[in-house]
Amino acid sequence: MDVSREEAERALDTARDAAERTKKMLAYAGADALLVLWGVIWVFGYLGSQFLPLVAGWLWLALNGTGIALSVVIWKRSAPVRSPESGRIGGRIGATWGLLYLYVYLWIGLLWPFLRVRGHEQSQMFYRHLGAIAGSIPMFAYVVMGLWLASFMLWTGLAVTALTILGLILVPAYFSLWMAVLGGGTLIGTGLVIRNRWK
Amino acid sequence: MAGINEIIHQPVRLRIMASLVTLKPKEQVDFVYLRGLLKVSDGNLGAHLQKLEEARYVKVEKTFVLRKPRTFISATAKGRSAFREHVAALKSILQRADIPASE
Repeated sequence: MDVSREEAERALDTARDAAERTKKMLAYAGADALLVLWGVIWVFGYLGSQFLPLVAGWLWLALNGTGIALSVVIWKRSAPVRSPESGRIGGRIGATWGLLYLYVYLWIGLLWPFLRVRGHEQSQMFYRHLGAIAGSIPMFAYVVMGLWLASFMLWTGLAVTALTILGLILVPAYFSLWMAVLGGGTLIGTGLVIRNRWK
Repeated sequence: MAGINEIIHQPVRLRIMASLVTLKPKEQVDFVYLRGLLKVSDGNLGAHLQKLEEARYVKVEKTFVLRKPRTFISATAKGRSAFREHVAALKSILQRADIPASE
């Protein structure tokens, strides 16, 4: 079979592009559906914090439990690549997120004796700040992923973190509503961008 | 050195093999995901996979995941080696072309 220099060059480019595209897609494998799921959970959770503050704790507990269960189902159903190690990898990803939140709350717990929260107004403020910390954890993950994989995640992570702090300062009374739109919207939007860009 | 592999050289099959060899040896990719990755139709991907399967370059496995039918594809050891040889043959064409005629 005769192949010209140009054809050989084209074929090598095609193979290289396909390999690069595969590597990139695998790095985001299944992330789109999970981001949309957690975006929806955040929208409902923060809306609950805004409009039903008395039951918000229980609502978050129920939403997070549902989210974890649905994440396992989504991972099993839609994981594009399977191998003898898939289950272990999925477990490790879940554990990483769980440990990240656990450690942040542990650090807050360690500082607890020095936190002087008095009265209704201060406790409301404390919970708003706690909401901002919880909301900025995935944005930290965005920034780290952005450094390694795609710059749009880096800038999204930094912008949303800045807007979270801005919301805390400028619209404290509506902060949970702000986070429902900003945080939930960012997760849903990123999921949709990944789906459209790499599928 | 082996020459150009006519089965793999076809552009869609080249992209299929390039994607599959990117995975680790024991990894399998979902048919639907591969279709999206390569931006080809069901029928087109199926036909090219059949050709590669006949050459024993890929393994197609149909299974059920949470009661939903799914098809997973992986490159065989023979397929990986054939792809490597094909890429080497393409590179050697480029190197030959780079050598000036007077040498």
